[in-house]
Amino acid sequence: MSADEFDVDIERMFAQTPRMADSELFASRVEARLASGSRLRAVALTAAGLIGGVFAVRESMNFDFSLSSGQAQTQTQTLGQGLEAAGGGANDVVRAVVDQIGLSDMGMGSMGGMQLFWVVAATLVFIAAAGVVKLSQEA
Amino acid sequence: MPRSLLDQHDVELAALAAAGGRREFGELVRRHGSAVRALLRRMGAQASEADDIAQDAFLTAFQRCGEFRGDGTFAAWVKRIAARLYIKRKARDARYVEESAQEEAAPVIDRGRLMDLDEALKTLSPVERICVSLCHGAGMSHPEIAAAMNLPLGTVKSHVKRGLDKLRARLAPEQVESGRAVHVSG
Repeated sequence: MSADEFDVDIERMFAQTPRMADSELFASRVEARLASGSRLRAVALTAAGLIGGVFAVRESMNFDFSLSSGQAQTQTQTLGQGLEAAGGGANDVVRAVVDQIGLSDMGMGSMGGMQLFWVVAATLVFIAAAGVVKLSQEA
Repeated sequence: MPRSLLDQHDVELAALAAAGGRREFGELVRRHGSAVRALLRRMGAQASEADDIAQDAFLTAFQRCGEFRGDGTFAAWVKRIAARLYIKRKARDARYVEESAQEEAAPVIDRGRLMDLDEALKTLSPVERICVSLCHGAGMSHPEIAAAMNLPLGTVKSHVKRGLDKLRARLAPEQVESGRAVHVSG
């Protein structure tokens, strides 16, 4: 047997790996870690979105403006920018909620503003919870 | 009718895994898990350590599945990932560098006993074992091994050669004997 032949022989021996008895268990462990990683990522993203949403709403509360006043356009833009930072679509959600409950002409620093805050926060929590449930079902 | 996972080629499964298919990736783990774990053990990892690193290697492979183009085999690709993870871990410990500096005792050759590869690998120094396993088990070139282990190319070649000489002495002693006989008579 030459040295080259021995090299080939060594590679053949390395390639021969009998299937281990616990290979199924090993595969299940890898799959479990993949699933848990996916769930963790979903929860982290949801939590980040939720925190961002609440933060954006809180920031918007710092502006004492009325949507029916002459400054409405500028203030709406500010509100929209804040909500965009929290993740897409929140601006439309807030507007829809405001219109539905008839708070579109109320001052944000008033009691109505506080109600609006809690309504929006509750909506975001609901959406986030629904997202977590859906993602955990898919995982 | 959709094909069963068992009927699909590694490249197809890898493509589906790259799109987030965990079931498809699970099938790849079933197919190649033993080979990856065996390579790590041959490199010198203890069984539990080998399993941990193999799991990490497969998780890394899942995240990077989109990079697998099917140029080589999927098993070889994951083996390289696993081997690099093992080297990183060993480099952190810096044990194999220290151990490689030590002169190990000459292996006692029991020629009457049939030795298998796993037993023969135990006669190599840790760094020789890693170099030979990377070269012949993971299919890495000498420059790739040198880069992965942060060693000079010449050193890697020496480790591989010495390791192979020792393996030859264990696994094919008749070749060593005949080589010596030729050398003496010449």
